Amino acid sequence: MKRYAFFPGCLIPARHPAMEFAIRSSLPKLGIEIVDLEGASCCPDPIYFKSKDKLDWLAVAARNLTLAEDLGLDIFTNCSGCTATLSETYHLLQDEELRDRVNQRLARIDREYRGTSRVRHIATLVRDEVGYDAVRESVERPLEGLKVAIHYGCHLLKPSRIMQVDNPDNPQVLERLIEALGATPVRHANWYLCCGKACDGEDIPNQMMHDLLATVHDEKADVLGMICPTCFGQFDHGQMKIAKLFDEDFHTPPIYYFQLLAFAQGVPYEKLGFERQRFKPVALQRYEEVAAK
Amino acid sequence: MAEKRKSSKSERAGMASRSHGSDVVRVDFAFKRELAQKVEGDLANFCYQCGACVGDCPATRYSPAFNPREIMLKVLYGLESELLGPDSVLWQCTNCYGCHERCPQEVKPVEVIISLKNMLADRGLAPPAADKVIQTFMSNGRTVPDNPAIDKQRAKFDLPPLRTVPMDEVLALIGSEVEEESGS
Repeated sequence: MKRYAFFPGCLIPARHPAMEFAIRSSLPKLGIEIVDLEGASCCPDPIYFKSKDKLDWLAVAARNLTLAEDLGLDIFTNCSGCTATLSETYHLLQDEELRDRVNQRLARIDREYRGTSRVRHIATLVRDEVGYDAVRESVERPLEGLKVAIHYGCHLLKPSRIMQVDNPDNPQVLERLIEALGATPVRHANWYLCCGKACDGEDIPNQMMHDLLATVHDEKADVLGMICPTCFGQFDHGQMKIAKLFDEDFHTPPIYYFQLLAFAQGVPYEKLGFERQRFKPVALQRYEEVAAK
Repeated sequence: MAEKRKSSKSERAGMASRSHGSDVVRVDFAFKRELAQKVEGDLANFCYQCGACVGDCPATRYSPAFNPREIMLKVLYGLESELLGPDSVLWQCTNCYGCHERCPQEVKPVEVIISLKNMLADRGLAPPAADKVIQTFMSNGRTVPDNPAIDKQRAKFDLPPLRTVPMDEVLALIGSEVEEESGS
């Protein structure tokens, strides 16, 4: 087993525990041992907390990284926002002057940031340390015929020099991870568009989400596969809101990739918390019926 | 680091705006020095106004008022009053980082915009959504408010209660000390 420090962040453990459950269920089957981080705070959030004071933001983020440094482990994240904050902190603190300023703050609590723990998004951890073939081998019920539209979200991919996940103009990682489950990924026309959640106000994000959902809808996919809990909210209760606001029949159920993986690995549908979603991925149930026969 | 700001507020006010009726633009260096104090706030200096940031910008596509190239130009001119008011257009940025990806000069327009938001926060002009997130963080170290229903939901998935954040440590990191600032 390869050991990694798990940084769960706020949204997934507090709002989407089903996603955390799926991660804890699926990673050990891929040879990854999850080590919990004691004393971690919010990453902190790369939108509003960062907009208040970047140095406060760096200091709190650096403290979180030192918790993994204490364990001598690399850190993995399950939320694109946490990945953005922690990856950017790791990148920015390679600058000695800035690192000194942040370490002056950390000295107040007798901590020091050293830059010895790398930050990995869970999707890249699986791609690079496990590999697509091992994912395929862990699947107990291949999702053949399941059409999965893809939404990457912004922070998984950009800025690519810092995130180091994939080519933001032609990313592959989610498509390959979906294919490893036996399902068929499809790229909808507005795949690159932002979900708008981090934009203050109503009108701009509503228009953005409308255009996004329109091209998702065009694909007539069974589900919309994604990797970011913030985007997930926009596509679940947000989809209901936009459908009503624009009087459209949008209804593609969103699904967090690791819930899809856990399902394909044999976790029963009813244990994965889908009943809490506004749009439920009922298309998955046909794979349970096949397995039961 | 850039030198500490020395000019007074009244001095800044006198040189802050474009003089109407002529081609003369007075650059407000006091504003630019304050911006340069922010992490990566001085990067706009490298902007040559190519507009690569605009084509990919989702906020520009949906709001004619928002244009990252124009924001960088206003920063270069030091037009504080057009950037740092109540209901600033800066909050329309979607934080998608497309401009950071595209910029050939490594200006990172989104980072300059976030530095400008730091200046808005210093002036008490952050939107309510931002204040709410900060307040929640200051109370429990998370962006989600405490609620007994959370641990009940977690128990349904055999997950332990949320871990407590050591707030004394976290809060000790917030805010600069005077000696630290003068030494930077």
